[in-house]
Amino acid sequence: MKRAHQQHRHQPFDSILAALSVDLLIQILERVDDPRDRKAWRLVCRDFLRAEALHRRALRVLRLEALPGLLRRYAACLDLLDLSACPGLGDHALATALFAGAGSWLLKSVSLSRASGVGWRGLAALAAACPRLESVDLSHCVGVGDREAAALAAAEGLRMLRLDKCLRVTDVGLAKLAVGCPALENLSIKWCLEISDIGIELLAKKCRDLRVLDISYLKITNSSVKSISSLGKLEVLSMVGCSNIDDEGLQFLDNGSNSLRSIDVSRCDNVTASGLTSVIEGHICLQKLNVGDCFPELAPLFLSKLNGLKDSLTVLILDGFQVSASSLKIIGVNCKNLSEIGLSKCKWVTDEGISELAAGCVNLMSIDLTCCRMLTDKALMAIGEQNKKLVCLRLESCSLITDKGLEHIGTGCPNLEEIDLTDCPITDTAMKYLSRCWELMILKLGLCDKISSEGLVHIASNCQNLRELDLYRCIEVTDDGLAAIATGCSKLQKLNLCYCIQITDRGMKHLSCLEDLRDLELRGLHHVTSLGVTSIAIGCRRLTELDLKRCNLVDNVGLCALAQYTGNLRQINISYCPVSSMGLCKLLGTLKCLQDVKLVHLTHVPVEHLELALRAYGGQLKKLKLFIGLRDLLSPWLIQMLHARRCRIRWVDKPLVFSP
Amino acid sequence: MFKASAKMDFKLRRPLEASSNASSSMMSEISRNLKPGLPFIPCDSTNICYGARQEQSFSEFPPPQVTQCHGLYAREQKTETKNQLEPSSAVNDLVMDWNPRLMLSNLSFLEQKIHQVQDIVRSIISQEGRANELAAQQQLVTADLTYIIIQLISTAGTLLPNIKNALLSATPVAQTGVVANLPVNASQKHHEVLSVELAKASEYDELIKDLNSGGEGDELIKCLNNSVAEVSESIPIEDHDIKDYDDGMDGENLPPGSYEVLQLEKEEILAPHTHFCLICGKGFKRDANLRMHMRGHGDEYKTAAALAKPSKVASSEPAIIRRYSCPFVGCKRNKEHKKFQPLKTILCVKNHYKRSHCDKSYTCSRCKTKKFSVIADLKTHEKHCGRDKWICSCGTTFSRKDKLFGHVALFQGHTPAIPMDDAKVSGMSDHVQVGETTNGMVANMGYNFSGNASDDAQSLDIKDVDDGQGYFSPMNFDACNFGGLDEFPRSAYDVSESPFSFLSTGTCSFIPRNGEN
Repeated sequence: MKRAHQQHRHQPFDSILAALSVDLLIQILERVDDPRDRKAWRLVCRDFLRAEALHRRALRVLRLEALPGLLRRYAACLDLLDLSACPGLGDHALATALFAGAGSWLLKSVSLSRASGVGWRGLAALAAACPRLESVDLSHCVGVGDREAAALAAAEGLRMLRLDKCLRVTDVGLAKLAVGCPALENLSIKWCLEISDIGIELLAKKCRDLRVLDISYLKITNSSVKSISSLGKLEVLSMVGCSNIDDEGLQFLDNGSNSLRSIDVSRCDNVTASGLTSVIEGHICLQKLNVGDCFPELAPLFLSKLNGLKDSLTVLILDGFQVSASSLKIIGVNCKNLSEIGLSKCKWVTDEGISELAAGCVNLMSIDLTCCRMLTDKALMAIGEQNKKLVCLRLESCSLITDKGLEHIGTGCPNLEEIDLTDCPITDTAMKYLSRCWELMILKLGLCDKISSEGLVHIASNCQNLRELDLYRCIEVTDDGLAAIATGCSKLQKLNLCYCIQITDRGMKHLSCLEDLRDLELRGLHHVTSLGVTSIAIGCRRLTELDLKRCNLVDNVGLCALAQYTGNLRQINISYCPVSSMGLCKLLGTLKCLQDVKLVHLTHVPVEHLELALRAYGGQLKKLKLFIGLRDLLSPWLIQMLHARRCRIRWVDKPLVFSP
Repeated sequence: MFKASAKMDFKLRRPLEASSNASSSMMSEISRNLKPGLPFIPCDSTNICYGARQEQSFSEFPPPQVTQCHGLYAREQKTETKNQLEPSSAVNDLVMDWNPRLMLSNLSFLEQKIHQVQDIVRSIISQEGRANELAAQQQLVTADLTYIIIQLISTAGTLLPNIKNALLSATPVAQTGVVANLPVNASQKHHEVLSVELAKASEYDELIKDLNSGGEGDELIKCLNNSVAEVSESIPIEDHDIKDYDDGMDGENLPPGSYEVLQLEKEEILAPHTHFCLICGKGFKRDANLRMHMRGHGDEYKTAAALAKPSKVASSEPAIIRRYSCPFVGCKRNKEHKKFQPLKTILCVKNHYKRSHCDKSYTCSRCKTKKFSVIADLKTHEKHCGRDKWICSCGTTFSRKDKLFGHVALFQGHTPAIPMDDAKVSGMSDHVQVGETTNGMVANMGYNFSGNASDDAQSLDIKDVDDGQGYFSPMNFDACNFGGLDEFPRSAYDVSESPFSFLSTGTCSFIPRNGEN
């Protein structure tokens, strides 16, 4: 596309449209997938830009200041607007931006997740401006309360709503929504701790079309389950950590409606096998069953009841159970269609059991064996031989497995996309085997201290789709390994290099060609200097999270480079770095998107300058980490102001120690 | 019929004029007798004022004959009753320093009053015949007699100890149907019956005799009982069940006859004190307090025996279950009622009577709308008043969230209003609130108010209302009686249909309201 750009640059614009109508342009555009290519397309000419504007359905705004212009351009056709990266977005800004669309909004879905600045006025404006609004995400807007819910309730057509961790929403707000949006199908009120049985009861009475409901961690009792059981269309019910609900409550679900497809009762301490059997009996089409951390032992009764679900059940999560080989065998026999099983932290999971399971459930795509410490290569062999469709395998802390086991996985599971080998005693040979899984996207090798650059070369040679790589404390990894990764895995988005102490600026230079890199952790890299950080800043423009804690050589120069180039940076940790006032002021004064800043033990920054820098910050800080000693030294006015702007300050009470 | 009533009016005038004279003379006497700074005086004077104004405003009426007749009568009666009632309440108030002179003047006035009634009765006898008139006169007599009773009892109440139980538990004498020549004969008979019962209440008689030098007291009691009897007999018992409060009796199914029924009289129920010092006349709510008080009257009351709780002599006959009847005829708690449900204790009687048949004179100081007749109810309400933070979008308020949510679930489109912060809530009562929460409520209230006002204005069709006397304008007065705001219960003799309707209801209900304003 860049080539196309160059070709068309010098031609008169009308000639392009003469040859290619807008329709055709859009047809072409539909075949351009990569966002980078699309960006190039936009830059070709106005007509291309216009065509792109007509074609675009979704928009994610990364910087607040661009919002009005973007909306003016894309207002007409946009379906989805994602404002989750704009914590500074206020009511006024939102209302003004929506007004720019001049009533022609076709928006169906708006995400305001973590956009904690939006209040009821903004939501009222949103509901008024977008008559077709169907989906709103307000999760993690901790300030959202009843007023906001009431404002949102004006959107009658709302079908999907996420209110996760909207801490101030009470029964009243829920009632407003239930009455105002009767068409609601998908609702999440996870962590809305103020909501009680009364609100749930009204919700169940008013929103009869609910299909998906998440009531996790609410302090609700069995009577809520009773009212929920009256929802005839309910398919997905999540009630994680509802410890007031017990078997008696679950029995209400066995009312013959047979609509549930998925139920999650993990961490419900008072739920036992008998309650679950009643759920299973009542909903024989159940596809997903999550009973993690409920009760310690798998009762035979429960296992035999699984037989009733044998055709439908695809997901079974049994985290934290005592699962013997025999019970895994029963599961293997009963649930032939199982595609995902979770056995994380299960005791007594043996090779024998896994072999039985793998033999029974050949369609397994995801297996979670985190902390099943008794497993050896035999289990992996069974999996590799039986489960050809495996996509995800988690083996964290399975300390008995070796490279040999992974050979079976590498050869047997070509579709593998995700593997977690954190804290497993594997070597570069294992990497060689795994490199056969060329679709690998997520690879976690934290604490595998035998992995060296050689292993990374294997991976980089074949796994071009790698998105996420965790090399936490892989102390053997050197710059060469990074060079291989940077060239081989160009789509890498997340990289953890914490305490890979051999890495130097040269490695950083290699990494700087990873244009997609969003999240980079460089904690404790003693050889990386400001130069390395500068090259990263220049190369990885999309960087949003950067951890430089205890990078003892990174100083003002690095910070200035970051301030200049990484405009999208949202989280930064420069604790213990020898930066001075100038760099800090530059960083905080320039970057506008920063939300989470950790500034513990900046020994070269006097208190006055720190205060000045914090005052100079123009964006919306959400989290700030400071040394506790500063609490009394910083002016109360500043702290007050930060609190008033909804910034949470975490005071760290750690003495200054220079060795990691 | 109009003519007849007009005639009757002429006949009535003489005695009434006399009574008004009497009242005025009495007023002067009272004001002479009482020291100027006494608490009741201002209150009294407003009422007098009111009476005068009332007169003026009524004179502004376009005078059709019948109303004229009403008006005249109403005016006179009103001034009279007012003047007479007030001293009585004053007497009640003045229990602390009881004034025998005042008592005497009261009694002598009562005497006059009784003579008047006698006159009317005589005129009834001489007239004989026409039922309409008779009924009207009868009402008049009953009204006067009740008034006398109230006076008498309240006067006597300042003096008397617990004698009344015996007096009032007297079973009504069966005397139905003798309406025509009822008053005299009935009273005689009845008195005979009663006097037997009263024998045990010798203290009462003696006391009265001492105070009133001779048989006057006796005569008064005669009349009193007479009227009571008449009242309870002459009205057919109706079946209007007044909404029952929990008076502690529901669910108890004692077979009729297995218990003794006592019926306290209205005045006794309403008396502030039930225990009275025989020496100084001071009243007490509790016997224990009286006993404590008695110590001050001499050493003989300081003995352990005198101070001890009076031992229950009645325990020798434990089988008798005592239950109480409400004196309000037609009430379900009245023993004449078909489905009579007795009240368990005297306290139940008191609360029941006040709640069901009395004016609700205690207004909540916070919301200014809720009224109660039992002060404890007011206190209970005041504890929760203003905490009705659960408000529906329709303006209905609830004290409990689940009730609100039940309401919301029931009605389409209703939503709970968002509760204000505490600061805002407190401000709410003072200022007109912006926002949905209270708008509905305020609007509702406003609507009610204006609705009533306009209704009254229409029904009365008064053009000139003296603004300077806003509170006491006839409109306001009538709003009290006819606007439906006032829940003054109809008295036992339901006279709402008679031409004298507001003699009985209006005069009584009017006073507290006026004082409130």
